[in-house]
Amino acid sequence: MACSMRDGVTSPMQRPPDKVTVTSGRSYRLIDHPSEVEVHIEALELASLFEQAALALAAISAEDSADVATQPPEPIALHAADGEALLVQWLNELIFRSEVNKCVYGDIHVHHASEHELRATIAGHCPRAPKTSVKAATWHGLTVTRNHGRCAATFVLDV
Amino acid sequence: MHTNESPTLVGFAHPSDVVFEAFVDTAASRQGRPSNGEGTGDAPRTSTSANMCIRILADDTLASRMALDRSIEQLRNVASLDGIVSPVIGMPDMHEGYGFPIGGVAATPYPGGIISPGAIGFDINCGVRLLASSLSHRDVSNVESLLHECMRSIPTGYGRSGRLTIDSAQLDRILEGGAREIVRGLGLGLADDLDVLESGGCMHNASSSAVSTRAKERGCDQLGTLGGGNHFLEIQRVQTIFDSESARVMGLFEGQVTVLIHTGSRGLGHQVCTDYVQTMDAALAKYGLHVPDRQLAFAPLWSPEGQSYFAAMNAAANFAFANRQVLTHRVRQVFASRTASAPLRVVYDVAHNIAKIETHEGRELCVYRKGATRAFGANHTELPVRYASIGQPVLIPGSMGTSSFVLVGLGASSLAFASACHGAGRAMSRGASKRLVRGSDLRRSLEARGIAVRCPSNAELAEEAPAAYKDVERVVDVVERAGLARKVARLVPLGVLKG
Repeated sequence: MACSMRDGVTSPMQRPPDKVTVTSGRSYRLIDHPSEVEVHIEALELASLFEQAALALAAISAEDSADVATQPPEPIALHAADGEALLVQWLNELIFRSEVNKCVYGDIHVHHASEHELRATIAGHCPRAPKTSVKAATWHGLTVTRNHGRCAATFVLDV
Repeated sequence: MHTNESPTLVGFAHPSDVVFEAFVDTAASRQGRPSNGEGTGDAPRTSTSANMCIRILADDTLASRMALDRSIEQLRNVASLDGIVSPVIGMPDMHEGYGFPIGGVAATPYPGGIISPGAIGFDINCGVRLLASSLSHRDVSNVESLLHECMRSIPTGYGRSGRLTIDSAQLDRILEGGAREIVRGLGLGLADDLDVLESGGCMHNASSSAVSTRAKERGCDQLGTLGGGNHFLEIQRVQTIFDSESARVMGLFEGQVTVLIHTGSRGLGHQVCTDYVQTMDAALAKYGLHVPDRQLAFAPLWSPEGQSYFAAMNAAANFAFANRQVLTHRVRQVFASRTASAPLRVVYDVAHNIAKIETHEGRELCVYRKGATRAFGANHTELPVRYASIGQPVLIPGSMGTSSFVLVGLGASSLAFASACHGAGRAMSRGASKRLVRGSDLRRSLEARGIAVRCPSNAELAEEAPAAYKDVERVVDVVERAGLARKVARLVPLGVLKG
């Protein structure tokens, strides 16, 4: 028997979107991944892109992620070498705070986001219906692009 | 598994028909980047072979399934890293992960090689521990009650805290002492337990000071917790004995009630990996290294970054050994209060996400197993005395509701750096599984088969449905046919506590 190994970067695996969520300004796609969760986001600007990434993370973490925040707001300021590193750092910051503070952050305001810097305020609540435990944001298949006035990002969460 | 693209995996001259290989020119994937020693720093001067072997252990069915995801492509990315020795190996349960495939094994020279946190993953020393009771399943009519009490004693799921309160000094001792500190320091366990844990439940070269404050903060209240995802605790019975002598040595008999625990280093390990992938990513430029996937970011093993990660990884591994030890204590308490069993006896404890220094074919190597189990053969010097005559116990959990297996390693160093699979391996995404299976239906189906289930969420239950995994019987069969390990016993579930 002989079997072939693909040479390119595209998988033959069909990956239909798991879910498209577009409710009151929230939009992200969860894409099938054999073992983890892949997220794709499009937005008009980087700040919105980072907000959407945070909201996707919250929605994966708890059924009631959109509930009103009950915890005091927390400021966040991050610096990174590039846009991809900044996105991973942002998500991992949220994952860390969620686990330590036992809450889900569904109230996200990104005040400023560039290729290297992010400033935001977040607020969370203790979820009544926790869902998937997210271990970390990975660097695998990570992209952050800006083309013709639109931004897009793809990332994989280890769950 | 037939496409018109190269390279091609071909059958290997091996007594079995479950070994496939491809030789890939990794120099091509290194084009445009500096080779060893040409960077801005001191890159590792290790294996630079351009012709790397990718070896897949699978039958036709499993190999075809691997071709449907990116796992072989990910294995090739691993092979392309400067400093990895040939071959890189895919176990029969291999599937796509992030960076390094789940079910992948690779090695690098020690101490001159490289180290990548992504080659171990976020759940450092995720592993499995098997406990054996003295009871036959016919003597245990209260599995529901046992499971319920286990659930009350063991927090499961997202970010849950354990019942054990430790201070920072105790945490530091646990990070450097592993399960030994839980038994000797906290008194949770039997001295004999330590004799039958991989590495004695304590990785040397661990340093608590290499673990960030954040990682400690994340993990300090999680000792004695199961976590979420595919982690579980299962009450089982020994259904079939395949190798009576090995089973006798392990104290296993048909009908016996056992408990299998699958969990790892929890948030502490996740944060250690998070911290050091970032460190390695930043260090790539310093050492003039390039990666095909940033999750595979690495540094020379001997570099400050490499040494620091190695010490932190070993500390996180110790935390995982300690976690499974605390869970053992909790389950023992439950069985002691509700059954007539003698104290549950630890059969063995294996790590399946870890890097270890080992000697293979006369070479000292750092072996990376991500979703793979060490499988030393009989008389290996690192084996517990009790198992020296039979080989290392290899514990393979099945998917929920299906069989698990106990095997003994055969020490296949040249074929697979003495490794075996770690489970059934996912065959379907979590989303697809939820679309295919309703959690409530699955729960009823398991209960109809006499399997008690405790899982707070039907959606989470559906994600781990047996249909989402490969056939563990087939995977284990390939492990045996390839000569990696020999089947000793099949265990079937009586009750499942899902993390």
